[in-house]
Amino acid sequence: MAAGELEGGKPLSGLLNALAQDTFHGYPGITEELLRSQLYPESIASADMDFNQLEAFLTAQTKKQGGITSDQAAVISKFWKSHKTKIRESLMNQSRWNSGLRGLSWRVDGKSQSRHSAQIHTPVAIIELELGKYGQESEFLCLEFDEVKVNQILKTLSEVEESISTLISQPN
Amino acid sequence: MEASSEPPLDAKSDLVDFQWKLGMAVSSDTCRSLKYPYVAVMLKVADHSGQVKTKCFEMTIPQFQNFYRQFKEIAAVIETV
Repeated sequence: MAAGELEGGKPLSGLLNALAQDTFHGYPGITEELLRSQLYPESIASADMDFNQLEAFLTAQTKKQGGITSDQAAVISKFWKSHKTKIRESLMNQSRWNSGLRGLSWRVDGKSQSRHSAQIHTPVAIIELELGKYGQESEFLCLEFDEVKVNQILKTLSEVEESISTLISQPN
Repeated sequence: MEASSEPPLDAKSDLVDFQWKLGMAVSSDTCRSLKYPYVAVMLKVADHSGQVKTKCFEMTIPQFQNFYRQFKEIAAVIETV
């Protein structure tokens, strides 16, 4: 089977191995598990393999003798396209050791009285954050904000967004 | 406009402080070229007894944008109540 001997990086040959098996032997399907077991043990240079690089590589392979057909190249290309995001996301989740934000739900109450103080007709926002570390159960954090606080947070978040815009606009 | 499973009053905390940083994960033992930006948040929250706790979490950029969008919605609603 030619796929196993292709040059151009261990991760790719692992991927192609798995795909070749599927193509030639009709294995039920390439699951993310199989893909992971092929790719992860290798020293992965990049999970963000440039799609253009892959296309170029595959095209070159179709031209080689004993290489892959252009149909196979198309399958591989399509497969990588659809799985790349999932793999990347999985790698991102695994390398984040803090809690992640799993969910956010909220409601706004028109509060007329509270246990702690005699506020009249003060609207409050109640926000529930669902946090969780990779592979662990969620922790729920319930917070109460008045209008002033909501606007303070909003201002802070706009600063964050500005920061992000600056980062993205910088060429690296 | 009440939720169906309303938490008891004293389970709600007050946000005392909101700190953030924008980071870039470059590399890790599982992947040598991660290259993804993330927003790390550190909240200081005070429960009804006044005890202050720290809660940290991270968001990807899309998650942050959703977070921001939801806060804008909250602000819009709270203004009208």
